[in-house]
Amino acid sequence: MNTTDLKRGQKAIVRNIGSGRGVERKMFEMGIRPGIEIELLEIHPFKGPLLFQVGQSRVVLGRNLAASVEVEPIQET
Amino acid sequence: MKMVLVGNPNVGKSSVLNVLTGSRLFASNYPGTSTEIAAARLELDGTEIRFYDTPGVYSIYSNNEGSNLTRELLEKEAIDIIINIVDASNLERNLVLSYELLDLGYPLLVVLNQVDRAREIGMDIDVFKLSSLLNSPVIAFSASTGEGVDEFQAFLRDTASMKGKNAGSNPAESLNVRRIRLDESCDCSGNCGRCSIVVEECTTNLDLQRAERARATAQTVTIPTAQAASGYLQNIRYLVDRPVAGTLVLLILAYLALVALSKFISMCEGPIANLLEPVSEILHGFILSIMPPGFVATVLAKAIPEGLIIPFTIIMPAMLMVSLLMALLEDTGLLPRYSVALERLGNFFGVSGQAVIPLSLGFGCRTPAVMATRVLPNDTQRFIVITLLSIVIPCAATVGVLVMISAKFNASLAVIVSTMLIVMLLLGLILSRLSPQEDAFIYELPPLRVPQAKNVWNKIKLRFSGFFTEVLPLLLIMSIAIRALIESNLLEVFQGMESITRLLFGIPAEAFVAVLITIFQRYLAPLVLLNLSLTSREATIALSMIALSLPCLPVMVVTVRELGFKSLFKILGMGFITSFAVGMSLNMILPV
Repeated sequence: MNTTDLKRGQKAIVRNIGSGRGVERKMFEMGIRPGIEIELLEIHPFKGPLLFQVGQSRVVLGRNLAASVEVEPIQET
Repeated sequence: MKMVLVGNPNVGKSSVLNVLTGSRLFASNYPGTSTEIAAARLELDGTEIRFYDTPGVYSIYSNNEGSNLTRELLEKEAIDIIINIVDASNLERNLVLSYELLDLGYPLLVVLNQVDRAREIGMDIDVFKLSSLLNSPVIAFSASTGEGVDEFQAFLRDTASMKGKNAGSNPAESLNVRRIRLDESCDCSGNCGRCSIVVEECTTNLDLQRAERARATAQTVTIPTAQAASGYLQNIRYLVDRPVAGTLVLLILAYLALVALSKFISMCEGPIANLLEPVSEILHGFILSIMPPGFVATVLAKAIPEGLIIPFTIIMPAMLMVSLLMALLEDTGLLPRYSVALERLGNFFGVSGQAVIPLSLGFGCRTPAVMATRVLPNDTQRFIVITLLSIVIPCAATVGVLVMISAKFNASLAVIVSTMLIVMLLLGLILSRLSPQEDAFIYELPPLRVPQAKNVWNKIKLRFSGFFTEVLPLLLIMSIAIRALIESNLLEVFQGMESITRLLFGIPAEAFVAVLITIFQRYLAPLVLLNLSLTSREATIALSMIALSLPCLPVMVVTVRELGFKSLFKILGMGFITSFAVGMSLNMILPV
């Protein structure tokens, strides 16, 4: 599944970034890389961007970019 | 001695430099405030230290303007020390860059900026441990409270005296890493699954290793303190980051800002005009008394007092208020939130949400706004935004003049404003076809902060200084030129065009001359109109044509620098077409 399948407030581990040119690098710079935990904070309507908590920073991803980030949700215990 | 400040976007590099050297660089609360390398110098015990402030970069290996500039600087200049500004409240991500710099082999000083904020959100950092892990000096610093300034200066003094002792030996020269080669560090991680792409566009195993080291180091040195009180800023942030409620709040704030702006302008106009009246009379009499009577004296005696009225009564209040509003928007961290809220709208125009920042800066002055387009991901998007800036967005001075002239001739502001909106939509729709719909919106939201009075004040001063250095002299000169044109009856030469301009645009020939004058400076054009007698319909059409025409000279210069002559000519062409199309359409639509 990818980050657009997450629910608001759900946490997940990044598994893979399936985007092409340059995007993987940009994600890496924002701290999004395989093995990292992210939390989906907000979902903007009309296929708008998604807001994530990544470490100490808040990162906004456009819907298409967000769809290219494969994640594994963390089961709430 | 040469030192260069390198750090992630929005960690406060410019603020640190401002605190240290008393320089006045623009510092704001959003990533991408500095888009160029700035230099400042400090004289310390007889040694001159040159500081270079670089644009914020997440990595020096990135393929963007900021990283390219920083790499170039490191390769070209003999840098003695890299001062790595690190955001203490976001250590892990910042340390990735620190490790890149360490791997280059330069001596490093790590400045942990915003330690006060880190403590506020409940973390302390073990400076000694961090220093030993990085094998570099580390200073806990806060540009806002002044913490660490003494320590920093002591460090500079020590370094300067050391440098004095072994003069001639430049640490940078002894380094073998003089060229930062991208291809040599390639060690593909294979994460992207394709191998034909340029190295600086993918992550290598070295990158991942550095990220891992950064994570481990950050974890080791961070000491969680008692959970800080959540604070009202956190609550506000929660609200403005909500998709629907937040967007509403942002739109209401924007509306209030516009109301404040127009109220302030109308409040100032009367009193300032009253104050100016005696000054104008004295000037008028003074010029007539010192100059031999004749054409020149008549022109100057009329033009100089006239030339003072518009700048002081309209443009000055507008520039002051816009500077204040922009400073607040920037320093609170609200500005980038607009780009998120309006991302959908931006996509419609074929630009990413980040375009909101340069577009809204354009309401202040369009020249810095064109520079700010560097935050955009590619040249096509930059072209779209610069075109919209050049043709549609009115700067503070233009707004002031438009409001005043339309009041004088009773022109319909509603028609002018809606024409501008429609043109913006149409132009956006057409331009968006240029841009392949590649939705690559990725942006870091800064934390919300309470703006500091001193920083806000400095910005107002910086932005407002343009009033005396640029706006006032230019308007005075233009006022004289236009007065000369009128007094010499030269304007009547254009009467021959009258039938054409009447037929096409429904405006007199002189008003059309005003439209052409926008090529010099948009807010000068209406000055010609002031001296004509126009009906409200004519004024509405002429003002709409002026409001939607060409970029002013300073904007053209910057556009050439940023995108080249070809793009400028395209923009100029579109400007003329837009302006004429607007004139003709309004002439057909508006009832006589």
